[in-house]
Amino acid sequence: MSGQSRALLLIGSGKPVHSNSESLGGYLLSGLARRGFDTRTVKIPHTLRAPGGAAAITEAVRQASMVVLATPLYWDSLPAAVVEAMEALAEDRRSRPPGNRQRMVAILNSGFPEARQSDTALAICRRFAKETGFEWAGGLAMGAGGAVAERPLDQAGRRVRHVARALDLAAEALARGESVPEAAVRLMAKPILPAWAFVLYGRWLWPRWARRFGAQKRLRDKPYAA
Amino acid sequence: MGKKVTVLDGSERGDAELARIRDCLLGELASAGAEARVLDLCDLDLAYCCGCFGCWVKTPGACVVRDSGAEVAKAVIESKAALYLTRVTFGGYSSRLKRAVDRIICLGSPFFRKVGGEVHHEKRYDQYPNLIGVGLLPEPDEEAEAIFTALVGRNAINIGSVHHAAAVLNARMAPEEMRVSLREALARAGVAP
Repeated sequence: MSGQSRALLLIGSGKPVHSNSESLGGYLLSGLARRGFDTRTVKIPHTLRAPGGAAAITEAVRQASMVVLATPLYWDSLPAAVVEAMEALAEDRRSRPPGNRQRMVAILNSGFPEARQSDTALAICRRFAKETGFEWAGGLAMGAGGAVAERPLDQAGRRVRHVARALDLAAEALARGESVPEAAVRLMAKPILPAWAFVLYGRWLWPRWARRFGAQKRLRDKPYAA
Repeated sequence: MGKKVTVLDGSERGDAELARIRDCLLGELASAGAEARVLDLCDLDLAYCCGCFGCWVKTPGACVVRDSGAEVAKAVIESKAALYLTRVTFGGYSSRLKRAVDRIICLGSPFFRKVGGEVHHEKRYDQYPNLIGVGLLPEPDEEAEAIFTALVGRNAINIGSVHHAAAVLNARMAPEEMRVSLREALARAGVAP
């Protein structure tokens, strides 16, 4: 396998085992693998917690021709660990500029139903690519990422079938050396639930989830109230 | 609540440029009669938020991780304004600041509401701080400034601030220009007259 076709999946989620970011990024990575890419996956928060973690990430990125960042949206931007990895990568690339063409694509998943809530985070990713010499190959954002339920995307049900189709389109284009097509961006952003239904769903979901911990009656607690 | 302002200082140790801006800010806050509490984030023990939702469903309103995250969240919600101080990093916040910001997700409720045609979390508390973002760039940069300003505005919606302001400074600005920019931001956020 030549250095021209190595795809590295960087996962931004800090969840201990499976995550929606892993499901989404893993699906795209499988599509690239079927098209001849050598693939590798690194979980950013888990790696950074280990000694030498930042160096391990910069070295993995150095060996890749394409970096796929799959991450949840935290406060309209990227999780702290992802920013920390980006800072380390920027520092590394200032001291040792990469000699080969490297592309970057980002996949954002938000807990809110509107994919556009990830626009600022995608702008940060694009800006990172520009500052560090990656060729920006595009960004995909999905709303209501919880619908993936941390399952492999091809087992996550009908509601997210369009997300899989979007990532298929993206993989095809990326393998041809093109950017993520607009059709994939639009498909990925297709709402899974209308906003009103999402609000109702929350009223149903959270008490049931909290019941597992005996906390269903304390969901509106104010522990820091004066 | 008075005019308590919590400054989340995302400076790294030895960052003289951000230290000067912080001194200037504290001077402006004192002139405005505000009581500033500065949290030096590089001195705090803050784990990454792992997105476990424990602060919503296990220990509602408080993070399950026992470190300085509780101190940050308590200080922010007790304030009239929260002020984020950071180097503008790819248009956003530095990782140092972002660790702290990620950990105040517990201040919101897990339930959803519609705000301006979008879904956001309901408020957990009756009042939330206004938000001021102060970012430093090495030189003027319209794109980075626009991303940073948009980010502060988006964060203000999500934290439930009534007012917010962003001041994007650059290292080429004269000290007086910086001071004016900071003063204007404090006024827009309802902290200074």
